[in-house]
Amino acid sequence: MSTRVFEKWYREDRLPHIFCTGCGNGTVMNCAIKAVDTMQWEIDDTIFISGIGCSSRAPGYITTDSLHTTHGRALTFATGVKMANPDLNVVVFTGDGDLSAIGGNHFIHACRRNIDMTVICMNNMIYGMTGGQGSPCTPVGKISTTTPYGATEPTFDLAGLAVAAGANHVARWTSYHTKELTKAIETGLSTEGLSFIEAMVQCPTAYGRRNKLRTVTDMVEWMRTHSILLQKARRMEAEGKSIPEDFFTVGEFIHRQRPAMGVKR
Amino acid sequence: MKLKIDEQRCKGCNLCTTVCPYNIFQEGRKLNERGIIVPILDRPQRCTNCRLRHLYGRQLCGACQMICPDQAIYWVEEDPYSEESVVIEF
Ligand SMILES: Cc1ncc(C[n+]2csc(CCOP(=O)(O)OP(=O)(O)O)c2C)c(N)n1
Ligand code: SF4
Ligand code: SF4
Ligand code: SF4
Ligand SMILES: [Mg+2]
Repeated sequence: MSTRVFEKWYREDRLPHIFCTGCGNGTVMNCAIKAVDTMQWEIDDTIFISGIGCSSRAPGYITTDSLHTTHGRALTFATGVKMANPDLNVVVFTGDGDLSAIGGNHFIHACRRNIDMTVICMNNMIYGMTGGQGSPCTPVGKISTTTPYGATEPTFDLAGLAVAAGANHVARWTSYHTKELTKAIETGLSTEGLSFIEAMVQCPTAYGRRNKLRTVTDMVEWMRTHSILLQKARRMEAEGKSIPEDFFTVGEFIHRQRPAMGVKR
Repeated sequence: MKLKIDEQRCKGCNLCTTVCPYNIFQEGRKLNERGIIVPILDRPQRCTNCRLRHLYGRQLCGACQMICPDQAIYWVEEDPYSEESVVIEF
């Protein structure tokens, strides 16, 4: 007997996947699959849906049925699937560009409708697949091929956006926090309505290389040291202190029971 | 149980070397046939999962397996007479 990672869920004949050395997407897949496995969902009752991007390649490595759709439209296809057959368990993999740039409109409306699915966004703060253009999540001052002197625009706070638009469960973790991320996804899977999990991931190829985080471990170390627990950030805010630049919050942003659509009958 | 790295999958990112509480994974030095420097295992019999999986009847620790983006880390059943026997350290 050997104990591979979730042999049941990975299409072993398709591995190794195409992600670059040390790309965080692979880690987020492990966490998502572990959470799905813990839920004891059946392969035939589960469907993974994605748009276009490196992150969106993920469903292709999973044994369940999957839809690899057009750029930005993962949530529209997922909405269709869920409304046509609410008995299916729907999980969406998407990227920061896919979800918040071209697909931004669908994102807010899926949250507003609160459709019963779990959306996992692998936020690498860049357009990875097309070679490193800036996305709505590229932090101010960071270099991409379209921001050669450093990005100047304010970024989207994806988790905050999902809370404001009405999602029932919202959390943010990183690919370093595998345990917490898995738990957050699991809570998302068991929550009725739209659950949004933002997973900050390293993209050593398109982001790290240009931003003085050359090695994979440098980028993961950066995420480890620059993430602040939400509770701590709120405490700091109450004390009138500001969160240092470059830092981001991690934790559970909201967990509520707004009325949802497409819930299993 | 015995800890293994699948050389056909590992891409040599070294993330495993950063998470193991026992520092079992050490940066490798030699290229393998795929042109990848796979980490080397330093006394893998110290791994929590190797030692205690059968006692508890479930996966233990597993931090390396979860963070490995290439699904390359796994365990195999140990031949009871192999030289690397299970050593329990206190
Ligand atoms: C309609 C359309 N516009 C543009 C593209 C080109 N394109 C492919 S992937 C991508 C960005 C992907 O970025 P993101 O969603 O962050 O995924 P990542 O690769 O970073 O994981 C773009 C712009 C496309 N495929 N289709
Ligand atoms: S370009 Fe970035 S996001 Fe795409 S596979 Fe490579 S490391 Fe991952
Ligand atoms: S984390 Fe996985 S892919 Fe990376 S070096 Fe370790 S075994 Fe290889
Ligand atoms: S399971 Fe834990 S103790 Fe064992 S090798 Fe992996 S990280 Fe180390
Ligand atoms: Mg991206």
